[in-house]
Amino acid sequence: MKRRHLLQSSAALAALAGFGWSPRMARAAAGERKFLFLFASGAWDSTFLDPKHDSSYVDMNANTASIRTNGLTYTGGADLPSATRFFDSWGSRTAIVRGIDAHSVGHDSGRKLTLTGTSASSYPDWGTLLADAGSGDYPLPHLVFSGPVFPGTRGGAVVRAGGGTLLDLIDGSLSGRADAPAPALDQVSDAMVDDYVYQQVASFAAQRGALPGVGRVRSEALLDNTERAMEIEGRRFEAGLDDLGSSLADQAIKATELMRLGLSRTAMIGIPGGWDTHGDNTPQTPQWDDLYDALDQLMLHLAITPGLATRWLIDEVVVVCLSEFGRTPGFNGSGGKDHWPYNSALVVGSGVRGNQVVGATDDALIGVPIDFGTGQPSSSGDLLGSEHLGTALLELGGLDPARHLPGVQVLDALLA
Amino acid sequence: MTSTLLALGLLQGCATDADPAGEILLLEPREQLIRLSVDLRGVHPTTAELDAIAAAPELYDAFVDRYLDDPRFTERVVEVVDQRLLLSTGDTYELEDVTGQDLAGEALSLVARVVDQDLPWSELVTADYTMANPALASAFDLDYPLGANSWQPATYTDARAHAGLLSMSSVWLRYPSAGENANRHRANAISKMLLCDDYLSRPVVLNRAAVDQLVIDPEEAIATSSACQSCHSTLDPLAAHFFGFFGDEDDMAAVHYHPEHEEIWKDYADRSPAWYGTPTANLVELGAAIAADPRFVDCGTQTLFEGFTQRTLADADWTEFQDYRSVFVDHDLAVRPLVRALVTSDTYKARGSTDPELADRLATVRIASPSQLASIIEGITGYRWTFDEVDGMTRHDLGLPGLAGGIDGRFLTERAYEPGVGAVFVLERLAWSAAWTVARHDLDPDREGDAVLLAYVTASDRPDAAPDAFSGQLRHLLQEATGLPVDAEDPRLPALETLWRQVHSVDADPIGAWAAVLSAILRDPRVLTY
Repeated sequence: MKRRHLLQSSAALAALAGFGWSPRMARAAAGERKFLFLFASGAWDSTFLDPKHDSSYVDMNANTASIRTNGLTYTGGADLPSATRFFDSWGSRTAIVRGIDAHSVGHDSGRKLTLTGTSASSYPDWGTLLADAGSGDYPLPHLVFSGPVFPGTRGGAVVRAGGGTLLDLIDGSLSGRADAPAPALDQVSDAMVDDYVYQQVASFAAQRGALPGVGRVRSEALLDNTERAMEIEGRRFEAGLDDLGSSLADQAIKATELMRLGLSRTAMIGIPGGWDTHGDNTPQTPQWDDLYDALDQLMLHLAITPGLATRWLIDEVVVVCLSEFGRTPGFNGSGGKDHWPYNSALVVGSGVRGNQVVGATDDALIGVPIDFGTGQPSSSGDLLGSEHLGTALLELGGLDPARHLPGVQVLDALLA
Repeated sequence: MTSTLLALGLLQGCATDADPAGEILLLEPREQLIRLSVDLRGVHPTTAELDAIAAAPELYDAFVDRYLDDPRFTERVVEVVDQRLLLSTGDTYELEDVTGQDLAGEALSLVARVVDQDLPWSELVTADYTMANPALASAFDLDYPLGANSWQPATYTDARAHAGLLSMSSVWLRYPSAGENANRHRANAISKMLLCDDYLSRPVVLNRAAVDQLVIDPEEAIATSSACQSCHSTLDPLAAHFFGFFGDEDDMAAVHYHPEHEEIWKDYADRSPAWYGTPTANLVELGAAIAADPRFVDCGTQTLFEGFTQRTLADADWTEFQDYRSVFVDHDLAVRPLVRALVTSDTYKARGSTDPELADRLATVRIASPSQLASIIEGITGYRWTFDEVDGMTRHDLGLPGLAGGIDGRFLTERAYEPGVGAVFVLERLAWSAAWTVARHDLDPDREGDAVLLAYVTASDRPDAAPDAFSGQLRHLLQEATGLPVDAEDPRLPALETLWRQVHSVDADPIGAWAAVLSAILRDPRVLTY
């Protein structure tokens, strides 16, 4: 039953008529995994997940070393203390995916291909698809704090934070900042207006929904999202929607809090930093360390926070760290690294087979064929592409990958 | 079929008009005119226009001609075309004293000129001038008319050949080349913008040997691999036209043109300039070749078709699409005749279809873009949502267009036609801001000028003491906001009066109560949709 049907019941209407705004709880599907995507726009140096210190083809940043912990090998060292802390603490829940063919070395197309598995403009990204096609019903289905988003044909599932503007819209304070400022409507009156509007939108959707087709889809999207907006307004204090945070760790924790409250299923956050290091690759090291530090804080939060449908939130959330492609094996003339089609990714959390590396590259940082079941190199295997990682994420999220990307193998080795 | 249509008509509770094929259900005349006006002018029709079309539906075509001549039509075409060109990013590319609007305006004002003056669409790639305003004139090497202060034709003084947007610095700032990619990004931009064909959407299957070769020597692999050549055989010769926009190593921005660099394609892909096999010596010849390519006409037709119908062109649209294309060609690629053909079709006026396949293609509910929504609200209330004198709904500073389902030209490259939570919130707060401003003005006993909307009541009126004034005011507000007639028995009237009473009971503020009521009316789905 949709929430609007509950709302339309006489009891719900009576509650509204009494001005006692009773926030309607989102009905997130029990046990449905949530996904947090962290994206390094500009293209990170994937050797931090795929160390090649012994290779004569690959230049590694100074003060780094290849470190092995259980089944994982990563780039750590004196300038990367957070990396060691992260893998020591959370390695059992972490998989490194290597040798991913990004299919592009153009930033825009690389982002598109990495996040959707295709270059078709109508195709939504993994976060949008998981939020839209999941069985839950979320007011902020795919919340984009920052970073890329490809809504495709599922634009109704995407909510952009708009650099904080969304929060000012939710609490109404934006109206006070206009050149002709208006005071924010008090919450009680606001709920009364919302109720009237809701009835009009429901009536409109019923009328336009009488005929099948695009009109029905759009009018129902308007109705669904009017409901969602009302719920968000009613729950904004509970959800702490007065501040989405500024640091990566704060935003990541906030995103997972929204997931815990059933307000969002997926979120996207851009990883801070200048990752397009053509001129000097040195900044990659501290930026990776900052990322690990944020991830460590996030995972600690997830481990001690009760989940929505599980004991701890860490058992419900998948954190996926991506970039549009990698960087060249060697330094260029200015100590930077240029664009490279082979990439790596970090996947942490619920349902992930941890302590393992999936996929591989050779000494020259070129992806090699792998067995998708084991994740290990295999001469009879196939090259790993961003689409295969995506189908694995869809499967983790309970979707049928064959329905969304027909004919694309699932990277089973990633799944616990 | 007749009985089915009758049944659907009864179900809808309104008159149903069917096309001869019996598949398309049409909007009633007022709704048709609202759709037309919002599409061509960005605002609702006036009350007089709505009354006229209701009395004489055959006036529809006359309204089409009137609206096509409205200056706002040009703005609407520019908005639609920019959904293809993706130039309005707001980015200034580190240039000083120019805005993102100035830079995007170079190409978009050429689009506007083409529309305004009924010039052929091909002018976009053949114009022997560029467009400039004073800000661009100071940023680029331009011969801009002395004393002018608006968008005017101008010419670059740095020896570049002029070929419409092909030779515009702002276009190549938007679509840069990092050097190593040898202008291929620019070549693909041409293909996407002017042929509606994205090379990156083509399936490419590389074997292992080709991948290895790519790693060792990319240019050699591109030149010898059949998989690579499936794209690069045409992409690289196209890219070869743009090396004049290559500066020195530390100056890759395309602000200045370097004629001495035109032939350094030999140092990169070593493919001489050509357009799909036909050698072209320079940008002028390239523009002529593009203009003569049937795919250029296809893409222009597709851009306007998709923009004004909110439909993605599908194979099943082929017959209808060819009709529009013929109109475009028959009228020397002028935009107005093509748009006239689009908006006078039954598919344009549809509110539904009994054919499920057709129903899945027709956008029977249209969603206002952020700029359309802003102008609709302004048309009703006179209010524009500005922040520090910047229009919040059309500029990207606050992110409102993206939240409302619009594009930003960079990360958001396709409109969201399903209204999301962000769009709901944007409309809610925009409606409130507009409503508060109107209520405060109209109910001020010392106000200057006429009331904008609240002319039937005063701040001291109460529904029990002035029931007729309240009822009349509410009807007026509903009609003004939706453009549709409201009869005295409409159930929204008592609901709105109840809302007024409820809000007024909170703090006894009639301005707040009327603002709340008006904001609720402005959030009617018939304001956001059309």
